[in-house]
Amino acid sequence: MKKTTLLLLCLVLWLGPEAAWPADVGPTYAVVNCKVVPVSGPVLDNGTIVIRDGLIKAVGPTDKVIIPEDAEIIDGQGLTAYPGLLDAHSQVFLEPAREEPASLGRGAPAQPQPAAPQGFTPERQAFKLLKPTKAERAGLHRLGFATVLVVPSKGIFAGQSVLLNLNGDKTEAMVVRQPVALHINFTTERGVYPSSLMGTMAALRQSFLDAQDYARHQTAWQASPRRFKRPEFSPFLEALVPYVVGKRPVIFTCANQEDIKRAIGLAEEFKLNVLLSGANEAWRVVEAVKKARLPLLISLSFKPPLTSLYANQGDELKKKAEDEIYPANPAALYKAGLSFALTSYGLTKADDVLKNAQAAIKAGLPREEALKALTIHPARFLGVEALLGSLEAGKIANIILTSGEIFEEKTQVKKIFVDGQMFTVEKPPPAAAGPAAVSLNGAWQGKITSPMGEVDISLELDQQGSQVTGTATVMGNKRDLSEGTLNGNALAFTIQTEIMGQAMSFAFQGTADKDAIQGSMATPMGSAEVRLTRVPKD
Amino acid sequence: MKIRKILFLLAWLGLILAPALARGGDLLIKNGKILTVTRGVLDKGDVLIRNGIIQAVGTDLQAPPGVRTYDAWGKYVIPGIIDSHTHVALSGTNESADTDTAEVDMADVLNAEDLAIFTALSGGVTMVHTMHGSANPIGGQNVVLSLKWGRPSEEMIVPEAFRTLKFALGENPKRANLSDSEGLRYPQSRMGVNAIIRREMLRARTYMEQWARYLAQKQMKNPPKDLLPPRKDLRLDALADLLRGKLVARVHSYRADETLEFLGLAKEFGFKVACFEHIPEAFKITQELKEAGVGTSVFIDSWAYKIEAAEGIALSAAYCTRQGILVSLNSDGNERIRRLFNEAGKTLRYGRLTEEEALRLVTINPAIQLGVDKIVGSLEAGKHGDLAVFNEHPLSAYARCDLTVIEGEVYFDRAAYLQEREEAAKRAKAPKQTGGAR
Repeated sequence: MKKTTLLLLCLVLWLGPEAAWPADVGPTYAVVNCKVVPVSGPVLDNGTIVIRDGLIKAVGPTDKVIIPEDAEIIDGQGLTAYPGLLDAHSQVFLEPAREEPASLGRGAPAQPQPAAPQGFTPERQAFKLLKPTKAERAGLHRLGFATVLVVPSKGIFAGQSVLLNLNGDKTEAMVVRQPVALHINFTTERGVYPSSLMGTMAALRQSFLDAQDYARHQTAWQASPRRFKRPEFSPFLEALVPYVVGKRPVIFTCANQEDIKRAIGLAEEFKLNVLLSGANEAWRVVEAVKKARLPLLISLSFKPPLTSLYANQGDELKKKAEDEIYPANPAALYKAGLSFALTSYGLTKADDVLKNAQAAIKAGLPREEALKALTIHPARFLGVEALLGSLEAGKIANIILTSGEIFEEKTQVKKIFVDGQMFTVEKPPPAAAGPAAVSLNGAWQGKITSPMGEVDISLELDQQGSQVTGTATVMGNKRDLSEGTLNGNALAFTIQTEIMGQAMSFAFQGTADKDAIQGSMATPMGSAEVRLTRVPKD
Repeated sequence: MKIRKILFLLAWLGLILAPALARGGDLLIKNGKILTVTRGVLDKGDVLIRNGIIQAVGTDLQAPPGVRTYDAWGKYVIPGIIDSHTHVALSGTNESADTDTAEVDMADVLNAEDLAIFTALSGGVTMVHTMHGSANPIGGQNVVLSLKWGRPSEEMIVPEAFRTLKFALGENPKRANLSDSEGLRYPQSRMGVNAIIRREMLRARTYMEQWARYLAQKQMKNPPKDLLPPRKDLRLDALADLLRGKLVARVHSYRADETLEFLGLAKEFGFKVACFEHIPEAFKITQELKEAGVGTSVFIDSWAYKIEAAEGIALSAAYCTRQGILVSLNSDGNERIRRLFNEAGKTLRYGRLTEEEALRLVTINPAIQLGVDKIVGSLEAGKHGDLAVFNEHPLSAYARCDLTVIEGEVYFDRAAYLQEREEAAKRAKAPKQTGGAR
C-alpha cells in the first residue's frame, strides 16, 4: 500500500508539475530579432528569448534558438531586451500612513527602560501593509521596473521588507521573497525613549543584546526544558532573533556619512549581516565603506543631507552639491572598486530614478555598471541572484523591451514581462492630468497654530498631476517639501528640518481648494492647525 | 647575540620610521611673545613642532628644511584653549525621555561638520569636552574632542581623556524651566533628583553583585550546568563603571546645598566627582570642595538668569582659585566658545588674578580636569603642538586670534581665511560670462 503511494508520487514528480497540475500554465512567448543585453554575458545583436510559464526557457542568437510551436511571436525588430529592473529600496504600494506622534507621556512615572521601547516594531511586515494600485504599477513599468523591495519607512525598527514582482494586483502572487530584511533607521521616537539619536544608538545596542540573551535562553530551554525555567515570550525579541544571529540581513538606512559609520560599527559590534541603504554620502567615507565590505544599496537622491556642510553654506554651494558633487557618489564608489545597487530611496518623483541614473553616468559611472546596479547587483545582495537580475535560461522571465539604450533620455520602455506576463507600456498621461481636483501652483501664506503659539508659514507650490513639490518658509527658514501628494482635494506633504542638530519631519495632511489650504501638521510638540490662503499674483 | 642585534636594528628602524608614521605636522613659530602658562613667559621666543609634538620652546630655534615658519613678531603665543564644558559638534544634546540615561554616549552622535567647530577655532580653542545636556539627573557619557576641522569625526576623539558621565541637579532635571506642555515627569523637586540618583546607584550595585555571582560560579571547578549570564544592561553597565572608578562624574549644579548633598552621595557610593559645572554658589563652599578635591567649571559674569543662579558673583572664579580650587571657564555652547580668552581676561578685573592664573583657567586647568594635562594645556616640549597666536595679549579686550594650530597643523589662519572670503565675494560679483559663477 505504502509502496504504491510512493511509486505514484515518484511518477507525478517525474512527469513534472505540468502533468500534475496542467490547468495553470502561463502563456508562452518568443521575442525574436531583438538586441539582447543579458547583463550576465555578451550582448546579442540579433537574439531571441523564449518565455514559458513565467520563466526564461531559452535565450540566444535568433538562428540558434528553437521556438516552441505554441509560442506567441513578438517581433523585437528595433527593440532592445534587458532584464527587468530591480529597485532594492522602494516605498511603493505602502499606504502613506502618517503615524501620529506618540503621546508625550504626560505624568508617566519614570521607569527603567522597557524591553521593547515604544514604537519599536521589528515585527511589522511590509507585506501586510501593501495596497498595490494599477497606476503605481504602470508608472514603475514605464520606467522598466519589474521587481521592487518594498520597505516600511517609519520608525527606528521600521519592520521587514518584501520582494515583489510587479505582475498584477494579487499581493500573494507578487511575492518573490518574504520577509527579506529588517530595516533600521537612525531616527528617533517623539516624546518617548529614545527621543534623541544618542538614545537611539543606545537602544539599538540594548535591543541587539536583549535579542542575543533571548535567543540564548530560548535555545537552552528548548534543549533542556526540564532544567531551565521557560523564558517569557516577547514578540519584539522573537522578531529580532533571526536578524541578530545573522540568519537574515539587517538593512540600515544611512542618511549621512556619520550614519554609515554608525551602521558599520553596529555590524562589527554585533556581527550582523548588514547592508547599507541610502548612503548618498558614501563617497565621503569611501575608505571605511571599502574596509567594511558590506553590500551597498545606494540612493539616487542627490540632495545633501541636513547635517552636511554642503547643505548649510548657502544656496550656491547647495545647488552645486545637488547638480555636480553628490551625483558623483556612484562613480566614486565604482572607482574605489566597489559594486552597489542603485535605488529610488529618497526620491520624491518616480521619474527621477532614470534621470538621476543618467546624471550619475554623466558624473563618471560606466553605463554597464549603472545597468548592473539596477539588475544583477541588487539581485545578488538580496539573495535572489539565481532567480533574477539577468537574462538567462531558468531565471524568472522579467524582461523589458526598450526603444534604445536604456539610459538614453529619449528611450522608452515598450513592453515589460513580469513573471512571464506581458504588459504593454502605455504612454505617460499628459502632465497635470492626474487625479488632482485643483491646481495649487503659486504662493500661499498662512499660520500654524499650536498650543505653543502661532507662527507664520508661507508655501511656494509646484504641482504636476498628483505630485506636489515646492518650498515652505517657517520663521525665516526655507525648506524643500517632500512626499507631496494631491489626490482630489486631499493634500499631504512633509517638511524636513533640523532642530538642535536633530533631523525632524513635520507632516501636513489636509484639504486644498482653489484659494485655501487647511489641515493639521504633526509636530514633535503635538498636532498643530494649519491654514493658508493664496497670495494673489501682483 | 643575534636577537640583540635584530632588536637593535629594529629600534633604529623604529626611530627612522616613527616620524614617517606620525600623523601631526611640522611648524616653527618665530619671534613671538610665548606665554607657556606653566614655564613662564619668553619675551621673544620660538616654538618648534615636529610631527605634531612640541620639540622645543626657546629662542633662536632653526627651522629644519621644509618646515613652515610663521613669523609671530609682535604677537602672543599661548597653548590651545581648552573648553571644559560645551555641546558643539553633536547631533543632539539631551536624551530627555528618561531620568537616567547613563547608557547614551555622545561619541555616537558626533557631527564633524558643525560650523561651531570653526567658530571655536577662530577663538583659539583646540580641544573641547562636549557633553550631554542637563535634562536628566543622570545624563550620558561625554567625549573630549580635538577640533580637527575637516577631519573625520573619529579622528577628533582624544583617547587619553577621562571617561566622564554627566549628572544634573536642580532646576533643569526637575524641569522647573519648562512649560507644562513639555509634560510632567518625576522628579519635580530637588529631593526627587537626589532620590533618583540614589535609586540608580543601588540598582547598579545589585547589578554588579549579580554579575560577580555569575562570574564566580563560572570559575568554579564544577560550574552549575544551567548557568546562563545575567542580562547585560547598558545603563547599569555605565553606572557600574562609575562605581568602579572607570568613569568620573561631571555634575551640573547651581546651589551650594544640592552640591553638598551630591558630595554626600559620592562618598556614600564611593565614586569620583571630577568637576561641578556652572555652580554660581561655589564661593560659599570652597572648604568642602577643596577637601573633596573637586574642581569647578564656571562662567564669569553671567548670573541671575534664573532663580537658582541668583546668588552668583563675578568674583567667584578668582576667589575659588585663590582658595586652591581647580577652576576652569567654559562656554556651554557655540557662542561663548569663540571668546573664552575674553572670559579669562575678566578675572583680572573681577578678583585681580595674575595673567598666568587667568590663562590657566582656559588651558592647563581644564586639561587637568579632563585628564589630558600630560599632552596639552601648556607650551612644553613633549606635549601636543596645540597653540593659538593672538595679535595682542589674549587677556586684552582688543585681542583677536590670528592662528590656531593643532598637532602642528594649521586649522585656522585668519589672514588666509579673509583672503579666501574676499576672493569668493569677488567671484560672486563678477559677471557670469567671465566665469564668475562656478
